[in-house]
Amino acid sequence: MATLSLNKISKSFGTAKVLQDIDLAIKDREFVVFVGPSGCGKSTLLRIIAGLESATAGRIVIDGQDVSDLPPVERGISMVFQSYALYPHLTVFENIAFPLRVAKLAEAEVKAKVAKAAEILQLTDKLALKPGQLSGGQRQRVAIGRSIVRNPKVFLFDEPLSNLDAALRGDMRVELSQLHRDLSATMIYVTHDQIEAMTMAHRIVVLNKGQIEQFGSPMELYHHPATKFVATFIGQPNMNLLPAKVLAAGAEGLTVEFNGGLRLTLPVDCTTATIGDTVDVGLRPENAPLGEGISMKVRVLERLGGVAITYAITPDGQRFCAALPGDAAVAEGQTINIAINPADCHVFDKSGNVMRRRMAPAIAA
Amino acid sequence: MTDATVQQDHVTKATRRGLSEPVFAWALIAPALVFIGFIVAWPLLETIRLSFTDATLGGESYIGLKNYVDLFNSDKFYDIVGRTFYWMFLSVTLKLVMGLIGACLLNAAIPGKALFRILIMPPWVIPIAIGVIGWKWMYNGYFGLISGLLQEFGILDERIALLSTKTSAFYSAIVTDVWVGTPMVTLFFLAAMQGVSRDLYEAAWVDGAGRWYRFRRITIPQIMPVIVSMALLSAIWTFNSFEIIWILTEGGPRGATTTLIIDTYKVAISSQRFGEGAARAVVIVVLLALFSLAYLYFLNRVNRHYGAK
Repeated sequence: MATLSLNKISKSFGTAKVLQDIDLAIKDREFVVFVGPSGCGKSTLLRIIAGLESATAGRIVIDGQDVSDLPPVERGISMVFQSYALYPHLTVFENIAFPLRVAKLAEAEVKAKVAKAAEILQLTDKLALKPGQLSGGQRQRVAIGRSIVRNPKVFLFDEPLSNLDAALRGDMRVELSQLHRDLSATMIYVTHDQIEAMTMAHRIVVLNKGQIEQFGSPMELYHHPATKFVATFIGQPNMNLLPAKVLAAGAEGLTVEFNGGLRLTLPVDCTTATIGDTVDVGLRPENAPLGEGISMKVRVLERLGGVAITYAITPDGQRFCAALPGDAAVAEGQTINIAINPADCHVFDKSGNVMRRRMAPAIAA
Repeated sequence: MTDATVQQDHVTKATRRGLSEPVFAWALIAPALVFIGFIVAWPLLETIRLSFTDATLGGESYIGLKNYVDLFNSDKFYDIVGRTFYWMFLSVTLKLVMGLIGACLLNAAIPGKALFRILIMPPWVIPIAIGVIGWKWMYNGYFGLISGLLQEFGILDERIALLSTKTSAFYSAIVTDVWVGTPMVTLFFLAAMQGVSRDLYEAAWVDGAGRWYRFRRITIPQIMPVIVSMALLSAIWTFNSFEIIWILTEGGPRGATTTLIIDTYKVAISSQRFGEGAARAVVIVVLLALFSLAYLYFLNRVNRHYGAK
């Protein structure tokens, strides 16, 4: 299979800069997910890799070969579209066979390759049907089948599950991960859904406003978000951010005071901190148990069974979300106290960059 | 409330006022039925009745099938039918081919295509009479543009009146008919092409399909229902095309441009032989009815083959 590297890719539409200086090195057989909010440039980046858009600047190298100026078919990629892009007038067989027909392969070879792809994707008994007669999940598999038969070096997926319902999406996530293992191919997958990113990716590229915020493994992003943006984007429910004033910065960490007077020393690298500055202290809802700490009033309570998602507001108006045990003795309108464990805290400076945590779980790179 | 329950509710109210369901339904469509009966059914039935008479301005009497027998025994009639079909086939083919090419060009990513889209409209937008009179002038041998240019460039030694010889008049009429009919075909094809998802083309491009391959295997099948519709509708309109031929040649010279509809007009209105004219009109109705049946049959088949969503 193949490695892929992007060198200083930029893309502008007129004066609008969509992508700026994207550098990325994707390893052989890696499953990489591009994730980010709408308009962050993730789909454009994928289309540039596919050759459907040309970059304003920068080079694309696949398996050591500069493919920047090659048409899509010569790049050794295949792409699965969000809309599936199946040909409604062709049967499932002909849809899957389409790239082989373009390449003018012999009939026997076409039949063999389509049969193999159909078997992998459990479509063997659907080959004579038209796409209109298939369910959403089956259509998705036909689209994947069409990309498999070409034996591409790199598979590209553009939000392939976003047209499916939630239950089917879960099933397809598992199927795609399985497919990745079976084909041991390099795959790049675009989504706005962080659950897809966390569950499927070896490494995730978080994009924001046309730039890479962070590139790392799901757990690295979760435990060591590089910026406030990544911290709030990854993790469900979103990370809480509480403003705090820097009182001291020393070897043992950063000492801060929250609104309301609570003082804590947080174990982070704080060489860049300035005394008197305001920083944002991030705390994930799942790391916010009941206990002595910050008091807040419960606004809305969502009991999901295993957890009780508790939306609260602090006396100074900060919103806070805590994932408490499912049977936690809290009620809407009640004032509760949330304990803050210094080791669980993330600290972001004024420009949104993180002060690295010292006590977070070790992450295998 | 769902649509079904709303409907049910109305029906119930109607029934309460003493109307049974079928009567209420008939009452609803009655105005339309009366209207259609007045403007379609009555003239049609009257034409059929007239075709069994020898009606002229002087009066009429029943003569049975004589008009039809005369018609089918006349060699001239078969000439006219043959010419009508040839006229229709040639004109429709040209309209479709030019429409397809035009739609492709207008659909291409060329600068200023919005302007070109407007520029193809005039033949369709300006009144047919005005456009056709323009063509009549251009075909004229004395002051016509075409004859003048052909002489100017040395292609012809002497002037040519295109509408005055049998062959050139027929093909000149075809050119004008195609000129009038192509813009609409083009716009319908263009609209259909724009309805084809861009993803299909991109997916095919990623798979290595070139322009021609994409056109053949994606565009054509995707717009096939529209091609069939336009072919058959255009066939019916061209078959019935009256004003273009009438303004250009009045069916001449020596009948070279006389199609069924022109012949019918000449017999029924110019010669005031209403009975014979009505028989010809009935023949046209039967032929067009056959076209319509073919149209529905093909459209149904094409939709089943290409349109399965």
